[in-house]
Amino acid sequence: MSRVVAYRLLGSLAAIFGASLLAFLIMRVLPGDPARIILGPLATPKALAEVNHQLGLDQPIFAQYWHYISDFFTGNWGYSYTLNASVSSLFVERFPATIELALFSFVLTMGAAVILALLSTYRHRPVTDAIVRGASYIGFGTPPFFLALLLLIIFFKSLHWLPGPEGRLQVGASEPPAVTHLFLIDSLLAGQLNTFWESLRHMLLPAIALGIGSFSFMVRLLRANLLEVSREPFITVARGKGLPRWTAFRRHALPNAFLPTLTSAGLVLGEFLAGSVLIERVFDWPGIGSLVFEAIVKQDFAIVQAFILLSAVIFVLVNLMVDLLYAVIDPRVRIPAVTSA
Amino acid sequence: MSADSLAIERPQPGPSEPSPRRLKAAGRSLRALAADRRLAIPVAILVLVILFALLVPVFWGPSPTKQNLVDSLQAPSGAHPMGTDQLGRDVLARVAEGARISLLVASLVTLGGALIGGSIGLVAGLLGGATDGISMRVMDTILAFPPLILAMAVTVGLGVGLSTAALGVALVSVPWYARLLRSEAIRIRSLPFIEAAHALGSTRGRIIRRHVIPHVLPVLFIQMAAAFGYAVLALAGLSFIGLGAQVPTPEWGAMITEGLQYSLTGQWWIAIFPGVALLIVVTAASMVSDRMRDLLDPRGQYERL
Amino acid sequence: MTVTTDASSPDPALSVRNLSTVYEAKAATVHAVRDVSFDLRPMERLGIVGESGSGKSALALSILGLIEPPGRVAGGEIMLGGRDIAKLSDRELGSVRGKEIALVLQDPATALDPVKTIGRQIIEAIAAHEPGLKRSAARRRAAELLGDVEISHAEQRLDEYPHQFSGGMRQRVVIAMAIALNPSVLIADEPTTALDVTTQAQVLALLDRLVDEHRTAVILITHNLGIVSEFCDSVAVMYAGRLVETSGVDHIFESPTHPYSEALLACVPNPEKLAQGPLPAIAGYPPDLSSLPSGCAFAPRCPVGRDIPQCHQEAPQPHAVSGPAGPAVVECHFAEARIREASR
Repeated sequence: MSRVVAYRLLGSLAAIFGASLLAFLIMRVLPGDPARIILGPLATPKALAEVNHQLGLDQPIFAQYWHYISDFFTGNWGYSYTLNASVSSLFVERFPATIELALFSFVLTMGAAVILALLSTYRHRPVTDAIVRGASYIGFGTPPFFLALLLLIIFFKSLHWLPGPEGRLQVGASEPPAVTHLFLIDSLLAGQLNTFWESLRHMLLPAIALGIGSFSFMVRLLRANLLEVSREPFITVARGKGLPRWTAFRRHALPNAFLPTLTSAGLVLGEFLAGSVLIERVFDWPGIGSLVFEAIVKQDFAIVQAFILLSAVIFVLVNLMVDLLYAVIDPRVRIPAVTSA
Repeated sequence: MSADSLAIERPQPGPSEPSPRRLKAAGRSLRALAADRRLAIPVAILVLVILFALLVPVFWGPSPTKQNLVDSLQAPSGAHPMGTDQLGRDVLARVAEGARISLLVASLVTLGGALIGGSIGLVAGLLGGATDGISMRVMDTILAFPPLILAMAVTVGLGVGLSTAALGVALVSVPWYARLLRSEAIRIRSLPFIEAAHALGSTRGRIIRRHVIPHVLPVLFIQMAAAFGYAVLALAGLSFIGLGAQVPTPEWGAMITEGLQYSLTGQWWIAIFPGVALLIVVTAASMVSDRMRDLLDPRGQYERL
Repeated sequence: MTVTTDASSPDPALSVRNLSTVYEAKAATVHAVRDVSFDLRPMERLGIVGESGSGKSALALSILGLIEPPGRVAGGEIMLGGRDIAKLSDRELGSVRGKEIALVLQDPATALDPVKTIGRQIIEAIAAHEPGLKRSAARRRAAELLGDVEISHAEQRLDEYPHQFSGGMRQRVVIAMAIALNPSVLIADEPTTALDVTTQAQVLALLDRLVDEHRTAVILITHNLGIVSEFCDSVAVMYAGRLVETSGVDHIFESPTHPYSEALLACVPNPEKLAQGPLPAIAGYPPDLSSLPSGCAFAPRCPVGRDIPQCHQEAPQPHAVSGPAGPAVVECHFAEARIREASR
């Protein structure tokens, strides 16, 4: 067990090292002027030379990589010339909005995926199953940013049910007292039910748009797993013991169908990371995604570079956590098989 | 026990077939693909989109790029079936031009990714050893990035534009093919008839051409259909955030970006039509891929990644 | 030794009458079990033999009410303890399954939930019928059961997972769950098929002892006639969803009357005859259960009736015959003639 953990840790370190090397290669070494990338096309030669020196581009390539990687891990992620702030401070400032939206979207869309997958597989329901499968196909093919637009046109512009692209709360509304920086939780802690309600209303559409890809993927994966597991003999054996249909399904089919979906946590996270850049701008959501989008528009690439490497590191770490989690909760990984008869 | 398993339990005639008959079996499965209705529908949709992309620019008068401010922001009508945008450009002509761009670039991305990734996988799987180890570690490095974010990195590093975006998306897809074909190559290498062919003095190149390539083509096609849909989606996404095709190029993602602000003031058609086109192509491509997987690989051994 | 066909035997443990099960797919309806009737006396051990796809497993699941859509039991009675359990709802059947009829499935590798401990799975079998049972008492019962199926260190092994057990051990666990509540009937679907020969013998010996001790009647589903001869009192040969020959074991091995039974027996390797040449195989394939011939289902493959019009046109009725080794019920137009021939 500890050997498995050590092996996985080493693998993850190697992956982070490889990813940083690849990002370094793509963004610093390959053609393209890094100083110009950072400063944009209008920069003066003097500013370019200064940035070149700051980045250490006059140094040998190994030294450059060393600076690149050590800067990243010491939180020195560069400086945004358009916003006049350090990239790390900007990320810290924008982080809560992104994480709240992502968490809410995760709960909402994964919950919906589980319910739909159960509806289409528990008992024989051909019509429901066909509808769920069709919906998951279309959801899979719908670009999240396009869905965001559709949702706004329908629920804001036409029906006036939900607020438009104005961020986390109505314009001019005061934020709840900051404790966790997550508005849903902070407003409850402060007893501001109205703020809670508004925050929820503002989060609904972006959360749906952000989660659509992972939702469709999860519905299909769960459906396939549930169908496969419910054909397993141990389900028949459990029913043969006299367990009611739902009890047998809940105790034996669900855990065995859900366990392998953990692997997809990384995939879902990747969707959310990239999705935040696509979605947040549509809703004017003040998170890291819209920060990165604005940086792209203004060619402020220090922010974009930091975001890219940060994403890779988070991605690798989450995949590592998933593997370790398996070692904790799946007895087949946790405990070696005994070969003696 | 289901009706299916009752049928499967029945003994199947004949021992495992030798290579030539397997090739015939591959031909049979291709014919099965051609006869399948659930595959024919999404394929027909894709063919219609291709015809739309090819024919509309020929037979439809208005130019996709010519501005005509007098006619700006017109709702769909007989003269402009999809309306006009803020600069008076005909949206139908732009959507058709966007179809040309999306289909062409996504096809190139798919072919490029399949060629490079597939070759890496085949070589790694057939040679094994250090070649295998090193190339797979490189693939792991690519997989350490969330897919779209690696493509973003490529465009940022090499300069924003449709060609670098395409390069980025192709790079993302390389490890999918490499891993798939590597495992296929390893599996095929150990099949008895390959060992027999080797013993009979066939050269490595001949074995690859005659035996390995025909075997891996079906799984390669399944993966390519899925990757094509992904490429269309990713390219549009990159253009949407300004890293791919640049405004005023009539690329679907860029068009949605342009139409975004007008959608909430009532001129929905500027962004909706390219969005629907995008949705149709991506959904059809993923349906093709899934159905091919069902038909060619009923047991589902070749999960994506 | 008495025989199933003996009409005077008192109060069968299980009595199946005209049971039919179909699987309804879009294209075709598969008739997996066709109008099957038989009795199982208390403590009797009935072997049901037949090829793959003859409907043996469907019959077992039908008796337990565990046929899943698109399949369903189309008709028939299943009398158990004085009531027709085919008429019960799924919920009502829950109190019968595991308590009065228990199930042992063929593949021990997949018959246990891989992510639950052995203990939890055994306790679950007990708790399903004794909801008020205390955890500690249930655990003690589970440990006793493991001891009963000859698993040492039972108390510790309760907390282990299926993958920590060997195949034979797992099958013992499945048997322990099945006998937990002293069922009057045990249905064992190929209980030893997935095991190696030595383990097979051990598991059979265990089953033999347990059903004796618990006074349980057994339906043993198998394609292995060797196991039938060792373990069973009586045997029913299943072909294309029907029981074509039902008798005591002696009869089947001495004078198999249905041509299919005879062909099945000829497939069993016999060391004395092996030298004489390759094993015979039954020509042809089992019929398509979605489009059965109008006459005898075995006719197209039958060495006797292949060319006889009656066999192709008219479905044979059960014939009660009396052979040299006891009575039998045979579904063949020529049952009497073949018995006479065998007696000569």
